[in-house]
Amino acid sequence: MSKNPIIKLENLYVDFPVKGGLPFQKKKHISAVSDVSLEIYPGETFGIVGESGCGKSTLANAMIGMVKPTGGKVIFKDNDLFSLSRTDFKKTRSDMQMIFQDPFSSLNPRFSVYQLISEPMFIRGGFTKKEMEQRVLELLKLVGLDEKDLHRYPSDFSGGQKQRIGIARAISLNPDLLICDEPVSALDVSVHAQILNLLIDLQDHLKLTYVFISHNLAVVKNVCDRILVMYLGKVMEFGSTKAIYKNPLHPYTNALISAILDLDIKREKTILKGDIPSPIDPPKGCRFWQRCPYAMEGCKDIPAPLIEVEDNHFVACHKLSGFSEDEIARGLDKRISDGQ
Amino acid sequence: MSDVLLGLKNLKVIFPAQQGIVRAVEGIDIDIKKGECVALVGESGCGKSVTSLAIMRLLNTPPALVDVESINLDGDEITNYSENKMQDVRGKQISMIFQDAMTALNPVMTVGKQIDEVFIKHQKLNKKEARIETIKALRLVGIPEPESRAKAFPHQLSGGLRQRVLIAMAFACMPKLIIADEPTTALDVTIQAQVLEVLRSMQRSHNVSLLLITHDLSVVAHTADTVYVMYSGKIVEKAKVEDLFKTPHHPYTEGLLGSIPRLSDTTKHFVQIPDSVPHPMFKPTGCYFHPRCKYATDDCKKKMPPLERLDNGREIRCYHPINFTGGETNE
Amino acid sequence: MKKIKKIFKKILNSFIGIGLFIAKIWKHKKGKIGLVLVGLLAFVAIFAPLIAPYDPYDVTQRAAKGLAPSWEHLLGTTINTGQDIFSMLIYGTRVSLLVGLITGIAIAFLGAILGIIAGYVGGVADNLIMRIVDIMLVIPTLPLTIVITNLFGKSYFIIVFIFVIFGWTGLARVIRSLVLVLKNSNYVKASELAGGSRWHIMTKHILPGVSHLLIMNTALTCAGIMVAEAGLSFLGLGDPTAISWGKMLAEAQSGGALLFGHWWWIIAPGIGIFIAVFAFMRIGLVMEEILNPRMKASSGIYKLFKTLNNTYIQEVFDGMNEEVLTTKEGEIS
Repeated sequence: MSKNPIIKLENLYVDFPVKGGLPFQKKKHISAVSDVSLEIYPGETFGIVGESGCGKSTLANAMIGMVKPTGGKVIFKDNDLFSLSRTDFKKTRSDMQMIFQDPFSSLNPRFSVYQLISEPMFIRGGFTKKEMEQRVLELLKLVGLDEKDLHRYPSDFSGGQKQRIGIARAISLNPDLLICDEPVSALDVSVHAQILNLLIDLQDHLKLTYVFISHNLAVVKNVCDRILVMYLGKVMEFGSTKAIYKNPLHPYTNALISAILDLDIKREKTILKGDIPSPIDPPKGCRFWQRCPYAMEGCKDIPAPLIEVEDNHFVACHKLSGFSEDEIARGLDKRISDGQ
Repeated sequence: MSDVLLGLKNLKVIFPAQQGIVRAVEGIDIDIKKGECVALVGESGCGKSVTSLAIMRLLNTPPALVDVESINLDGDEITNYSENKMQDVRGKQISMIFQDAMTALNPVMTVGKQIDEVFIKHQKLNKKEARIETIKALRLVGIPEPESRAKAFPHQLSGGLRQRVLIAMAFACMPKLIIADEPTTALDVTIQAQVLEVLRSMQRSHNVSLLLITHDLSVVAHTADTVYVMYSGKIVEKAKVEDLFKTPHHPYTEGLLGSIPRLSDTTKHFVQIPDSVPHPMFKPTGCYFHPRCKYATDDCKKKMPPLERLDNGREIRCYHPINFTGGETNE
Repeated sequence: MKKIKKIFKKILNSFIGIGLFIAKIWKHKKGKIGLVLVGLLAFVAIFAPLIAPYDPYDVTQRAAKGLAPSWEHLLGTTINTGQDIFSMLIYGTRVSLLVGLITGIAIAFLGAILGIIAGYVGGVADNLIMRIVDIMLVIPTLPLTIVITNLFGKSYFIIVFIFVIFGWTGLARVIRSLVLVLKNSNYVKASELAGGSRWHIMTKHILPGVSHLLIMNTALTCAGIMVAEAGLSFLGLGDPTAISWGKMLAEAQSGGALLFGHWWWIIAPGIGIFIAVFAFMRIGLVMEEILNPRMKASSGIYKLFKTLNNTYIQEVFDGMNEEVLTTKEGEIS
């Protein structure tokens, strides 16, 4: 797309030091996000997929400025977010909003629905009481709640309804970017569809841009235009949804799709061995090699470069990028036999 | 029927409270055959977890009130067993796998010791013999390096490993029936796939019956033989798994199946069921599902439809079942 | 003008908030007694000159020394000075309540403000405040009190001052822990995202979030302070001219009440202290139960089960059978 990206990440790194340990031991680090670059364009839904420990939440937090990156830049609407002054930072950031996974803890139980939804407006200032009330009623209607709910408290509502209140709050100031962090994982199955449909409708109606974080590839397929697959902080595969589902290249993506326990498609199942390793001091090479059924010797120490395999479809995997002649000569392309 | 391992007849559970009575389970029957995997599917608040606790007779009388006609385990009526006799049954004949391994395991005991205890109590082995069996059990569930893992504490293991420890504990005494309550809900997708594989293969190889309680229909599709669908305390449908997925009879089942996103979906929107599950204290009149049902008529509002048992073994509770040619199944 | 109106409204709101809170405590059955007693004590303290039959400070109203209880002197008179013990008891309420409440409220202010700042702002402020807390906790308060009162004279003002200076630390720590938890809740994050200033979040989200804990702690602190004050007065560190229950106990002991068997002189202040402490602790514990609804529920269930109507329960069960199908909506027993 030739439009200007709303948000751009350039070689983002986020490390956390691990507390504890003896004074003379080498300090351990959790490499939560490692060398992630991406661009998100207005109006699209960008999916970030991965399991726990993959860094997707940290990535989202870095995007909205909750976490300071240890390297790289976050450029939001052409501003380098972390080099802004405190006031500019706060102001710029309020054009981004977030919908949280747990509807129960995302609403202050002491605030009425009116107070909850109008809080961003109240903070921004410049609205009269009447204007705020009007807007809140508008928003309630948009998310499928009732006028009567205005003065009730969160405890009166079900999980799905709480999430709707959270959504109303998030869109109250017409944000440029809305980050949905696993918005339906904590809800009942029969309510998932309602909330997802609501998000889809709101996007069409209000021309919003979404970053959609999930571990459920089946949901992501319907909702997202482009997807980023992460594992242990690194990008494994990324591209348009169509391309990735039609032709999943990375063994991890394949495993995620196989794991979807789908009812109709008979796909060759890739069941991974072993557990998700700890993000503390991850492997030097490809971070996935220990569980990869196709791992080669070279995968242990040499990180795989992100290459464009087809239009709008990138993969970081030695199986596709191959090794240099020199490396092949050293026998690094030999498959690692069963086990580690 | 001598191939029925567990026969649960007319289970009712209520929880009296200040504001009213919570009707958790309203008269359900469940039959589990030997070696069969039965899934009990429903959302939060439908009463499925309470059912599993009631089978194990783990519901305490305050706060619950239980009324059941019969709980028959392999010929034995355990309905009125004393607590002592039940303790003998639990672990040895019926064992349970809970959802949250972190709270089900003792955080200050190594996992090896906890599995040892099961062997020591039920098979009367001494410590050494029990440890040998424990290592065997850990290996069986696919835990690498079981000798050293057995010495770990629960918080040192990942979620997937903890769940496997629970599975090892459950299978330790080769019980006749294992009840697994949402065993993989808290796990990551790829780990979930692994754990379910283990559960399934162990269940089949040891011919143990499994009662799988979950809200996730996709888990059911890959693990179960027979499915009971529960809604707001009542069983609304029972069928073999292939039948249920191909030709669901109850509108709720249809709705649940529809709302699972599938890889083959082409439309952007998801099929949704309006509103949410009824509050267990304030249930609608008539059929509990009628406020959300697109096929509802006046009959549905007045009277709860009775559970019909069909000749082909299926059960359906609905005045207007779908995919139904009246009286028997099709396709 | 508008600003004054705003401030007035805010004060009014906080009073309403406190009023609602008191209503909550009143509704709780165990809370009624606490509130009634505190109300009674406050009444006695405020209207002491009207209630007490004699003015114990007035030297001309002294009577014969060491009288036993009678209709003129409900609790008799002191052995050393001939003051009416009943009147002393009533005037003593003032000191105890004043010291308890003022100290409690001052500790609440300091502890809450510093705890919230330490917890929410974190960083240098947190380190500084916590190190001060650590230092304060190490210093032995009693010897220090003795030293200071000897240097600056014995007065309740000094005692309150010392209590407050050392007392805020415990509260600050507890509040800080809760603030750390609240800080991580999603609604605080949402507010920060929307651009909420630190002040906005601390006053609108954090402060209300710790209010229950704060009030509960304050009630319990008041109770503890009253006992402490009685102890200090007993040791003679309080204002020698004022009348306090602790001092009454001290005088009773030195005046020979035990020797002469004047039990009423000892019991009177003792009961006073007991009632005051009991009242505040009652309120504090009731608040803890309100804070922690689980505690309340478990005791309620047993009572509920005892009063269950068995035929009704049987009806409910029968109603679930397939044939009798008229399920009723929301039955309330």
